[in-house]
Amino acid sequence: MTTHAGEHNDHAHAPGLQHQFEDMKQQEESVSIGMWMFLVQEIMFFGGLFTAYLVFRSKYPMAFAVGSNHLNAFWGGLNTLVLIVSSLTMALTVYYAQKSNRNMQVILILLTMFFGTVFLGVKAIEYTDKWSHGTVPITGLNKVVREGHGDSHASKPIEFSIVPQAYAAATAAGGEEHAYVNPRGEFQWNDYDLIEKKVAEQKADPNAYILTTDERNGYFSHGELDRDKFRDKVRIFYWIYFVMTGLHALHMVVGLGLMTWLCWMAFRNTYSAEYYMPVEMSGLYWHFVDIVWIFLFPLLYLLGRHFIVGGH
Amino acid sequence: MQTTEAIRPSITDEPRQNYLTNGYTIKSWLLTKDHKRIAIMYLISVSAFFMMGGLYAAAIRLELLTPASDLLESGTYNKVFTQHGILMIFFFLIPSIPAVLGNFLIPIMIGAKDLALPRINLLSLYVYWIGGGLVLFALMQGGVDTGWTFYAPYSTTFSNTYVMLVGLGIFVNGFSSILTGLNFIVTIHTMRAPGMTWFRLPLFVWAHYATSLVMILGTPVIAITVLLLALERAGGIGIFDPAIGGDPILFQHLFWFYSHPAVYIMILPGMGVISELISNFSRKKIFGYEFIAFSSIAIAVFGFLVWGHHMFVSGQSMYAGLVFSFLTMVVAVPSAIKMFNWAATLYKGSISFDTPMLYAIGFLGLFLIGGLTGLFLGAMGLTVHLTDTYFVVAHFHYVMVGGQVIAYLGGIHYWWPKMTGKMYSEFWGKISAMLVFIGFNLTFFPQFILGYIGMPRRYASYPEEMQVLNIFSTAGASVLGVGLVMPLIYLGKSLINGKPAGDNPWMLPGLEWRTQSPPPTENFDKMPVVTWEAYEFGEENGLDLEAARRRDREMASDFQKN
Repeated sequence: MTTHAGEHNDHAHAPGLQHQFEDMKQQEESVSIGMWMFLVQEIMFFGGLFTAYLVFRSKYPMAFAVGSNHLNAFWGGLNTLVLIVSSLTMALTVYYAQKSNRNMQVILILLTMFFGTVFLGVKAIEYTDKWSHGTVPITGLNKVVREGHGDSHASKPIEFSIVPQAYAAATAAGGEEHAYVNPRGEFQWNDYDLIEKKVAEQKADPNAYILTTDERNGYFSHGELDRDKFRDKVRIFYWIYFVMTGLHALHMVVGLGLMTWLCWMAFRNTYSAEYYMPVEMSGLYWHFVDIVWIFLFPLLYLLGRHFIVGGH
Repeated sequence: MQTTEAIRPSITDEPRQNYLTNGYTIKSWLLTKDHKRIAIMYLISVSAFFMMGGLYAAAIRLELLTPASDLLESGTYNKVFTQHGILMIFFFLIPSIPAVLGNFLIPIMIGAKDLALPRINLLSLYVYWIGGGLVLFALMQGGVDTGWTFYAPYSTTFSNTYVMLVGLGIFVNGFSSILTGLNFIVTIHTMRAPGMTWFRLPLFVWAHYATSLVMILGTPVIAITVLLLALERAGGIGIFDPAIGGDPILFQHLFWFYSHPAVYIMILPGMGVISELISNFSRKKIFGYEFIAFSSIAIAVFGFLVWGHHMFVSGQSMYAGLVFSFLTMVVAVPSAIKMFNWAATLYKGSISFDTPMLYAIGFLGLFLIGGLTGLFLGAMGLTVHLTDTYFVVAHFHYVMVGGQVIAYLGGIHYWWPKMTGKMYSEFWGKISAMLVFIGFNLTFFPQFILGYIGMPRRYASYPEEMQVLNIFSTAGASVLGVGLVMPLIYLGKSLINGKPAGDNPWMLPGLEWRTQSPPPTENFDKMPVVTWEAYEFGEENGLDLEAARRRDREMASDFQKN
C-alpha cells in the first residue's frame, strides 16, 4: 500500500478516494458503471414479473379489465404525481451537491423522503381498502366478517373511482351487492356485469373475436359462464398487482433507508463538487424506482377503462 | 520486449509480506476486502459444497448398482438426486471458477490492486453463505424432492417438502453471483493497467466478461421466478397451476430463461481457463485470439435465445420448437470455433505435459463429446426419443463435469503455486488427472448407451437387462471419486511441506506471473505498464522451457557465488 501511494501522493488524500483506485476519475467511472449494471439486473428482475403480467393479460383480458377497474385510479394517479415530484427534488439534490451547498442538499433530501413517505402512505390506504373489501388474493389475509357483523362490500366500486355514476347506480340496482359474510377472510368478488355483457355478445355472434380462446376455455362450465372460474382469473390479476406493487414498495423502503443515510452524510458536509458520487448514485436508484412505477400505473390501474367509460 | 529480470523480478529477494501474512486473526479474514482472501474463502466453501454434492452422487450410483430400488426407497431417491443437483449447480458449478479463480486472478491479470468494488465482493461472499446456510438448513429439515428444476405444479401444489426454504436459499444465493458478475464487469472496464488494452487481456478475462454479462442479465430472472414459486406455495393462487387458469409452461419459460444461460455460466469460465492452459503449455501465442474472445461474447448472447430447447416435449408450440432448435445449432458454432482454435494452437507448439495440461487435454476430448451430443438433443426429431433419458444426464455431465470441473481442477493446479507459493507433487497430480479422466469416462459413457436404449432419468429402479452398464457406471464413479479426493490430500500436503514454487514456476509471460508468489496484498509493488501482447512467448520468457529453467538455475547459482 505504501509503495503505491508514493507515486500518486497528491491523490491519496482526496476525500473519499478508496485505496484500489488511482484517481477520482477512475473511481467515479467504476461506481457509475457498477450502478448502471445494478439497474440492468433490476430491470431483468422486474422483467420476469412484467412477463407474467403480459402472459395473463393476453390470456384473460376481461378478468384483468374488471380487476383493474376496481383499483383506485385517483390514488394511483396521485402517487404517480408524488413520485415524479420526488424525482425532481432528487435531481436538484445532485445539483446542489455539485455546488457544495449543504443546506439545500439536506432540505431537498428531506423533501424527497417526505414524498417517498407520502407514496407509501397512499399505498397503505389502498392496501387497507383491498383488505376491507376482500380482494387480497390470499385466504385469511382479508377482513374477517361474520354473519350479522359489519357490511363489507366485496369489491364494490370504490368512491374515488372515475366510473360514471350511472354505471355505479346500475351495478347497485342489479341486486348483486349486499352485506357479505366472509368468516375465513376469503377472496371475494361480485362484479360480473362486464363479463356477462361480453358473454352475451359472444353468444349472439359466435364468430366474432370478443373473448380469447383461453377465456372461452377458462370462464365456462358446460357452455355457461362459471362465476367461480371467472373469479379465479380476477384473483390472478390481484395476485400480480400485489406482487408487483409490493416489490416496488419494498424498493421504496430501501430507497428511504438510502435517503436517511444520504441525509446524515450530507448534513455532515461530506459531499462537494469534488466528491458527490454517492448522491448521484442514490439519485439513479431513486429515479429507477420512480420509472418502474411509471410503467406499473397504466398497466395496473388504467387497463381496460374504455370497456366501462365509453368505447365498445 | 521484456527481459529476464522482468519475468523473474524477485528470485534473489528475501521473503516479503504477501496477502497471507498480512494479518493472522479470524477478523482479518472475515472482514477483509482483499480479493485474494475472499477467493480463498470461496475456495473452501465451494469445496465443502462440492463434497456434499459428491456424497449425494455416491448415494445415487450405489442405489443404481442394482435394478430394484433397495438401498433407497423412491421418495428418498427423489430427494437425493434433487439435492445433488441443487448443491452442485447453484453452490458449486456456478461460483466455482468465477468466484474462486476469477476473483483471485482477474485483478492480477489486468494489473489492478483489487477488484473495483471490494466491499461488494465481500458482500457477495456473505450472501453466498446465507443462501448456502438456508439450503443446508432445509436439507437437514428433510430436504426437497422436486428435482433441481422445481417444475410447477408439482413444486407449487403437490410436493410436501421444503420447497419454499430451498427456493429462498437459491433466491438469496442468486444475488451473490449477480454481485460477482457486476464487480467483474466494472473491474474489467475501469481497472486495467496502463497499456493493458482490451485485446491484450488474457482470454480468461474475456471469458469472465461474457460470464458476467450472463450473470447480470439472467440471474435476476431466476430470482423472481423462485420468489413467485415460493409466494405461489404460500398463497395458492394458481398462476402456475393449470387447474385454476395458471400456466405451468410460463414457469418453465421463466426458469429456463435463466437456467439455460446458466449452463454458459458453468462452461464459459472453464473455456477461459482452457485457453490459458492450451496456449501457455504449448508455449505458443494462441491461434485466433479475437475469434476466441468474441466467441465467448457470442455464446453469452446466443445463449439467451435457446432456452426453449428444454421444452420441446412440454407443450410448447411446434413453430417455437423449430426456431429454438435452429438457434441451438447456431449457439454450437462459437463453441466449435473455440475448439478449432485450441487445436490449431497445439499444432507445432512445444507442448509440455504438466498436470494442468493433462486436464486441458482431457477437457478437449470430453467437451467435444459433451458438445456434440448437445446437438443430438437440440435436433427436434431426435430429442423426442432421447428427452428425459440418461442420454441427457450423460450429455450434461460431459459438459459440466468434463468441461467445467476438469477446467476448474486444471486451473487450481495451474495457479496453485501462485495462490499458495508452494508446489504440489507433480507425480500425484498426474496420477490424479488420469484417474479423473478414466473414472469420468467409465461413469458417464455407459449412460449414453443406457439413455439411448431407453433408461429414463430420475428413477430409483430400472429393468434388469440394463444392470451391466449401470455397474460399469458405478465402478467408474468410485474411480472418479478417488481421483477427486486425491488433490485434496496432495494439495493439502503441499501447504505443509511443499517446495517453494518461485514467482514463475511455469516460465510464462502473463502478468500474474510477474508478481511474487503468493502476491502481496496490493498485487504489485508498483503499477505495471504493459508493453507486450497476450501470450507473447519470446526467447527470454521461456519459449524453450528447459533452456529457461537451466538459465534460471545458473542465475541463482551465480547470485550465490557473488
